[in-house]
Amino acid sequence: MATVTFDSATRIYPKSDRPAVDGLDLQIGDGEFLVLVGPSGCGKSTSLRMLAGLEEIDAGSIRIGDRDVTDAPPKDRDIAMVFQNYALYPHMTVEQNMGFALKIAGVPKSEIATRVAEAAKILDLEDYLGRRPKALSGGQRQRVAMGRAIVRSPQVFLMDEPLSNLDAKLRVQTRTQIAALQRRLGVTTVYVTHDQVEAMTMGDRVAVLKDGLLQQCDTPGTLYERPANTFVAGFIGSPAMNVITGPVVDGGVRLAGAVLPVPRERLLRAAGDGGRVTVGFRPEAVELAPEGVPVVVNVVEQLGSDAFLYATLGASDDGDVLHTADLVVRTEPRSAPAVGETVHLRVREGGLHVFDPVSQQRID
Amino acid sequence: MTIASDDPRVAAAAAPPPSVPPAPATAARRRRSRLTRNRWGYAYVAPFFLLFAAFSLYPFLYTAYISLHDVRLSDLDGAVFVGFGNYTELLQDEFFWNAARNTLTIGILSTVPQLAIALGLAHLLNYRLRGRTFFRVAMLMPYATSIAAATLVFAQLFGHDYGLINTLLEAVGFDRIDWESGSWTSQIAISVIVTWRWTGYNALIYLAAMQAIPNDLYEAATLDGASRWKQFVHVTIPALRPTILFTIVVSTIGAVQLFGEPLLFSGNGMTNGGVSNQYQTLGLLMYDQGWTNFRLGQAAATAWTMFLIILVVVGVYGLIARRRARAER
Ligand SMILES: Nc1ncnc2c1ncn2[C@@H]1O[C@H](COP(=O)(O)OP(=O)(O)OP(=O)(O)O)[C@@H](O)[C@H]1O
Ligand SMILES: [Mg+2]
Repeated sequence: MATVTFDSATRIYPKSDRPAVDGLDLQIGDGEFLVLVGPSGCGKSTSLRMLAGLEEIDAGSIRIGDRDVTDAPPKDRDIAMVFQNYALYPHMTVEQNMGFALKIAGVPKSEIATRVAEAAKILDLEDYLGRRPKALSGGQRQRVAMGRAIVRSPQVFLMDEPLSNLDAKLRVQTRTQIAALQRRLGVTTVYVTHDQVEAMTMGDRVAVLKDGLLQQCDTPGTLYERPANTFVAGFIGSPAMNVITGPVVDGGVRLAGAVLPVPRERLLRAAGDGGRVTVGFRPEAVELAPEGVPVVVNVVEQLGSDAFLYATLGASDDGDVLHTADLVVRTEPRSAPAVGETVHLRVREGGLHVFDPVSQQRID
Repeated sequence: MTIASDDPRVAAAAAPPPSVPPAPATAARRRRSRLTRNRWGYAYVAPFFLLFAAFSLYPFLYTAYISLHDVRLSDLDGAVFVGFGNYTELLQDEFFWNAARNTLTIGILSTVPQLAIALGLAHLLNYRLRGRTFFRVAMLMPYATSIAAATLVFAQLFGHDYGLINTLLEAVGFDRIDWESGSWTSQIAISVIVTWRWTGYNALIYLAAMQAIPNDLYEAATLDGASRWKQFVHVTIPALRPTILFTIVVSTIGAVQLFGEPLLFSGNGMTNGGVSNQYQTLGLLMYDQGWTNFRLGQAAATAWTMFLIILVVVGVYGLIARRRARAER
């Protein structure tokens, strides 16, 4: 077990002018479950592969424990990886697949057998040890891939979207199993996903990447409560946070003719540029009120426990809405307004996020 | 063969008439209607089968017919039925056994190194290598070269007095070797020619199969600590097994039928396998029987024997492969 440190690690693919991973700084604690999340192409897999040694590091360095592994070959890094397509050896049985690394390392046969049996027991694979991957279901293959990693008892586990080939229900199940297994084994784990729900539910901490740049790395709670910028604000949480930019007036921001109150000191710091400010509020942080920002309901989505309103800001002719994004609002399912109705919104106490309209950074 | 049945016009034309006749006739009718419905499909594949019948099946059967007769090349109509006489005679013929032995040794001497080198070459080419296209073309060159040209060049290389190989041997202090007259040396020389011609071809087949192996298997093996060699043994070879079997079968067929290289090896294209038949293959023996001694029936019997040998060998490979596959399941 060990810590992992990315120190300004950068990867520029040949023939590419832009780094795929740009000066990544991350400290991962011993036994921590860190999730890398971000939209497609943001450099999650690349970061993971840099740590695995499958991708060169063009600048900066990576350490596992106290050891600088920047130039170490993959086999000397003592890491195990679960691939998105599992990469099981097709001609080997489950048992041989799981024991392959040990066999290469020259571990005696009897010990391989015990360790494979142990892992198979943990993963409920005992009945399949003699089968080939071809004869397994997707979920079973996924577990074999996990088993192959566990058997080695490495210092670090790496997982690249290990659940993306499973159906929705199995994914939810396996998600909790993997998280529980990791806590039980206590092995430092770096987990890649593009699914923010997976990230939030599994990770001790979550690192959000965009275009190769680290946006924020913090606990799921903090990411949700205090997103560092509008990108994280919009990426974390489902449905996404509503983010709107509007002109600053006395006491708040004007949206569709009404004023949404913003605390004075935050407003002053944000309003440096042309008197505008960007505010954000989550669907669940708003309530319908007799007075407030007027919106027109376009769609009502009934989920049973909640209802979501998809709405646009009410008509206004003074150009105070700078981008007319749809707003999402959660309401009680029973008291949901009808489509076409105009309702007024108020942001609950402490539910408002303020961002600089230019730098997009959070303002507290 | 349902290529044409999707065509609405054909389907409409083949639709059953409104009044359906009673039971017994329907099966035959259905069969007939399926035939007509699929007629374009049959039409499309017909040329192949016509050519196959004319140029493969007919000669094949005709050879079988001739092999049961005593026929002279000069008098094709004066065939005398001799039953399996040609075959029994062949099996008692010391030349046959000599040729069979030569074919076997040359076959092993050429096939084994040829496939091994091809595998190694393909493995090298499979790594990110500069100028890959160049190497691919280069590897196909020997295959594209005419047998005659290639063999004549090699015959000179292996020449006794002025051959490059003997000159080199002498330069490093060995004696000259009379490649053509020795039994082993001539067979080795012929195997070199065969290997030279076919290695690239097999390497390309292996390369194509290797490129179908997903890269993450190699990455997984790398993380598992496997060296390149171990990856080759544990990832590449198992994935290539069906391809390897295929190339073994094809090379075996080629080896049993080996003809051009030994014929041209002596340099004049007139040999029947060396003064003491030291490199006479079955192909050369057959040629000798038919076109030197004009005994067509005997030659046909040899041809059929070669065919049966191929069948047996390929059948054995098939059995081994099936047994392996079953053991793996
Ligand atoms: N082998 C490569 N050569 C050149 N560019 C690459 C290569 N692999 C990835 N890239 C580029 O690097 C960037 C990051 O890719 P990466 O695979 O890390 O994305 P990702 O975050 O894992 O995305 P996804 O969620 O779609 O898997 C992308 O813009 C991609 O186009
Ligand atoms: Mg990826």
